[in-house]
Amino acid sequence: MSLVVYVVVTFGAAALAIALRTRRPWGLAAGLLGLVAAIVAAIAIDPTQTLVIGGAGIATSAYLRLFLILGSIVALGLTVAGLASGTRRDAPAVTLTVLGSAALTMALVDPRLAVLAATTGGLFGVLITLTPRDGRAGATVGILETRAVVVAGALAIAATAWIGRDLSQLDAQPVVFGLAYLAFATAVAMRFGAIPFHLWAARLTDVVPETALPVLTAIAPASMAVVALAWVGSAVAPVAVDLTPERYIVLAIAVATIVLAAVAAFVQDDLEHVLGYSIVSDAGVIVLALAVVGPDALAPGRTWILMFIVARGAFAVWAAGIRAGFFTGRVADLRGWARRSPILLVALLVVAVASIGFPGLASFDARASLVRLAVAQPLSSVLLIVTLVPLIYYGRLLAIGLARPDRVGEPVVAWRPLGERPTSGGIRLWGRRTWDANRAFTTATLAALLALLALATAAGAFGGPAAAAEPVPTVAIPDEFGRPVPSIGLPVRRASAAPSVPASFVPASAVPASSLPASDGPSSEPAASPFGEPSAVPSGSESPLP
Amino acid sequence: MNPALAGVALVVIVGAVVAGSAKNGRTAILGLVVTLVAAPLLADPPAAPLGLAARLVAAVLAGYLLWVATRGPAARTGGTLVGWPTEAFLAIAAAVVGYVSHGLGAPGLGPPLAAAAGFALAALSILPVLSGRDILRIGLGLLLLLTGALLVRTSLGGTPAELEDILTAGLVATLGGAVAILAIASRSDGRPGFELSATTPHRSSHGADAHPIEPE
Repeated sequence: MSLVVYVVVTFGAAALAIALRTRRPWGLAAGLLGLVAAIVAAIAIDPTQTLVIGGAGIATSAYLRLFLILGSIVALGLTVAGLASGTRRDAPAVTLTVLGSAALTMALVDPRLAVLAATTGGLFGVLITLTPRDGRAGATVGILETRAVVVAGALAIAATAWIGRDLSQLDAQPVVFGLAYLAFATAVAMRFGAIPFHLWAARLTDVVPETALPVLTAIAPASMAVVALAWVGSAVAPVAVDLTPERYIVLAIAVATIVLAAVAAFVQDDLEHVLGYSIVSDAGVIVLALAVVGPDALAPGRTWILMFIVARGAFAVWAAGIRAGFFTGRVADLRGWARRSPILLVALLVVAVASIGFPGLASFDARASLVRLAVAQPLSSVLLIVTLVPLIYYGRLLAIGLARPDRVGEPVVAWRPLGERPTSGGIRLWGRRTWDANRAFTTATLAALLALLALATAAGAFGGPAAAAEPVPTVAIPDEFGRPVPSIGLPVRRASAAPSVPASFVPASAVPASSLPASDGPSSEPAASPFGEPSAVPSGSESPLP
Repeated sequence: MNPALAGVALVVIVGAVVAGSAKNGRTAILGLVVTLVAAPLLADPPAAPLGLAARLVAAVLAGYLLWVATRGPAARTGGTLVGWPTEAFLAIAAAVVGYVSHGLGAPGLGPPLAAAAGFALAALSILPVLSGRDILRIGLGLLLLLTGALLVRTSLGGTPAELEDILTAGLVATLGGAVAILAIASRSDGRPGFELSATTPHRSSHGADAHPIEPE
């Protein structure tokens, strides 16, 4: 199976890089070659394969393939930019393990297994929190991250276990469904460092290099979010239970995250914190997708996630480019940066356009669609405008960049490629001097390239929206008698199980309309919202919140 | 009630009480290892041999890595502030709640004793995870929480499939390794103990740090 190759390549290269970490050039080479091989292996993934192994199903899909291709390219760009601007020696290995874990997470069709892989992937990040100096402070941040990952994992394990079984003899109160949904949504929010679970993510930016931050707080949790979106759409949404209170909570987390994190990014003085909060703010849109509770959120949510990982990676490389070119990450000291590095100016503009978007851009339409599905008019129009609040920190960075430089002696031409003359010291010395002289140019160019990739992804290139709209793959796993049971990973209720479920819990799609009582059961008319208004949302979705 | 499973559940809970109460780091780790080793046995029917073996190896590996991290003098952890009898009563109360609420609203496919042990471990993990002041104690709490969640999952969904057990083993070993690495790093400044740092790591924003943080 082609996915196995990807997993073996990523984990194998990571193990090699770790084993060679004391010999830095060799460890770096193993990491970089592993990332290049990961891109090739991702491209080679056959999106229609399924495999049953150890009683569980693994399936590839076009979305999985695209996620891994984009994720691997971004990871390579981040790693190379990290070499130029400053990074940790374990960063390539951690990046590879996160990619391998993400592949497993999204390929496992049973969400109970997928959350295990997602949690494991999150734990590898602690290696990057270990600082060469002041190990105790780094370890403190590391344990905070570990706590967030494990608590989120425990919530997700409990939630998926509760719904991922036969519920035909259900005698629980409807609130339990809501708690399970809330637990998984909270788990995803915690993994992204969404507000109010952002403390660990804020501390993380103190120790993790900017080029490693998107790996830990964007790519790794994004794979878990993909699983959560599919789980909510197929396991929670079909159950005819009013989840309005829980959805309000998730919606509140999403809106608070989008707005407050953007404001926090606006007021921060360090680029690393601006980057960290920008990731959190954009992740709020993913939490918003979980507030929709319906299969309709799957396509726009997954489309947004693709843009999210690429654009945040590009923004991180841009921040690294600033640090490499201007020797500072302090925003206040960056007056005139845009005048001195046109490539970085282009990169930031393109990243901003890709992230904010405009009508017609796939990412903008995805976000608008999520807002529409989550909240009814006229609030949805207000919320859509609110989601544009990241403009303020992009605007601030741009304004500072276009301002008159207040320092003299800055490397005005640092953004251009510089050629060093060969010396008597040999090719190795010449190569090192050339690399040193071109650190700023390398990161700036990488930032521009990744920004263009982000814009293309946001525009729907590479078949992103189509892949995101594909149904979640299923696998028939043989039962103990060897008969194939259409038991797929994401638990879909079967019509045969419906009659024994209390009427109020029966998914509308699972019961024939003719078998329903005319008076008190669900009818074939459009579903009513919890507030008595006819809903235009297709069957299986919750109505937008008023 | 299956007496063998009841015995295993008791071992799981006793180990967790020791892990959550002991102030000596290695005693706490020993209790944790007992819990981690016994937890996968708390399934009916028993897990497949390969998966079970993976879980046992992972439990021992996680314990060994933590054991290595606590080498040397002053390998003490915070321990309980309320005393082990209180922790034991808390665990018993939670176990009773877990046992009687087995299935959480629908028939559970696994043994009720797994739910009892899972609830007990989750209850015991709350204090270390939320209010732990040293890395080792928080880490032990996280391992208890994870094991508790896995036991609740077993009580709800039945015996895990082979691949699930293998993935679980990877998760347990990774978590053990992560906590061990952090514990070692926390003592790299020469100070004994695993206390959390009160300071934020210094990041230079003005210096010429646009070079690899770790020079060759």
